Amino acid sequence: MLPEENTGIVGWGSYVPRWRITLEEIVETWGFNPEQPKELRVVEKSVAGVDEDAVTMAWEAARNALARAGVNPKEIGAVWFGTESKPYAVKPSATIIAEALGITPNAMATDWEFACRAASEALRTSIGVVASGLIKYALVIGSDTAQANPGDVLELTASSAATALVIGRREEAAAYFEASASYVTDTPDFWRRDNSRYPLHGEAFTGEPAYFKHIIGAVKALFAKTGLKPSDFDYAVFHQPNGTFPIRVAEILGFTKEKVLPGLVTPLIGNSYNSSALIGLSKILDQAAPGQRILLAPFGSGAGSDAFSIVVTDKVMEKRDKAPKVEDYLNRKQLISYALYAKYRRLINRID
Amino acid sequence: MRISIPPSWRTRIYRYRLTATKCKKCGRAAYPPSNICRYCGSREVEFIDLIDEKARLITWTIIYSAMEGFEEKRPVVLGILETVNTKARVMAPLTDTTPEELRVGLMMEPVLRRIINEGGHGLIHYGVSYRPLLKSTS
Ligand SMILES: [Zn+2]
Repeated sequence: MLPEENTGIVGWGSYVPRWRITLEEIVETWGFNPEQPKELRVVEKSVAGVDEDAVTMAWEAARNALARAGVNPKEIGAVWFGTESKPYAVKPSATIIAEALGITPNAMATDWEFACRAASEALRTSIGVVASGLIKYALVIGSDTAQANPGDVLELTASSAATALVIGRREEAAAYFEASASYVTDTPDFWRRDNSRYPLHGEAFTGEPAYFKHIIGAVKALFAKTGLKPSDFDYAVFHQPNGTFPIRVAEILGFTKEKVLPGLVTPLIGNSYNSSALIGLSKILDQAAPGQRILLAPFGSGAGSDAFSIVVTDKVMEKRDKAPKVEDYLNRKQLISYALYAKYRRLINRID
Repeated sequence: MRISIPPSWRTRIYRYRLTATKCKKCGRAAYPPSNICRYCGSREVEFIDLIDEKARLITWTIIYSAMEGFEEKRPVVLGILETVNTKARVMAPLTDTTPEELRVGLMMEPVLRRIINEGGHGLIHYGVSYRPLLKSTS
């Protein structure tokens, strides 16, 4: 028996801000090729409001996850926060969230950094510490107000959202872990230095040598470890930087498009970085039936991927309606102009 | 704008979880919390969190000439609300909304937001704002 099999997702929850900007509006502002949104298969992206950041979004996602978990916050032994848009360069975000949720003071609390994959590694680690009995529950959160240089192609998709998972013992779980695997290498596909406001990317590196190589590497390692094959899975959720990459990587691995579409959220809200794959998982848990098997494979630049095999239990039904679903947040939307988006995300340079 | 750090730190739990006091004598709740009931003067009060309660909007004001540090939130909308169960009166910023959407009796819910952002170098002070119910704005 693998250590993973003793653990599972006891609660899950997401958050998407109300505001959206159409890709068409960004294309018009910066003179991109009007066909670009169609090629990316993304229509709109979510924009955090002027009083929101990765911490406030994480707070709401975590409250939703705790409501579904139904556990006493004092029993949470770790708050692990994966982000690349933490409000403070130095001063943990995790402690603010832990304090606001009543988890403090006898808990671990740390911010994780690995581009879009920080929360994914925190998730795999949480399986280990829960399986070992070191702590009873871990709260793992992926939250980003993704940054992009205005006028950079990244700006078309870099969006805002958060997803939180409460990891605990399998007996209480809405879905349990069967197995997991990781795949990391040193890859220069995307980076941000101390003094840069926005990340840069190595154009030739973003596709094949980064996204595809690492996800395929992690998923194949999972298959080798377990003997599972694509037809054993009912759903497949990959990191979703746009609407096309997840479908292509699924095809290469042998998954049908139908298994990817239920968890594909990026066409509606853009790429929410650390929440990108996790919000797809969250949406699937909102609708999956007991007994169904989910493949989860987040990716982060720099680069790495983790693959998880997750099996839904009958507890998913009693937990599902205890918090708003991803669909509720997707339906709550108000379009804003480029000017308002620029103000909300502080792209306008002013003295404050 | 710089906020003094010690009082901001001391009140963080009240601001994050909407901690109020409820009088054991007259039953009325007060926010911010107070060791003496502001309605009957009793010292027998208990602490309760209002963060899970919805609230009805009683009145609001729209501030166009926002003070220094609030320019990016202009117009600042401040509301007075009554929580549905405890009947506590709370004054808080309103968020995720526009002035046109507001009406007396509007049901709202508390969310954690940035209340004061001390520019690019200072502290960020978090606290509760109220927004229209998630499903009412879809
Ligand atoms: Zn009293």
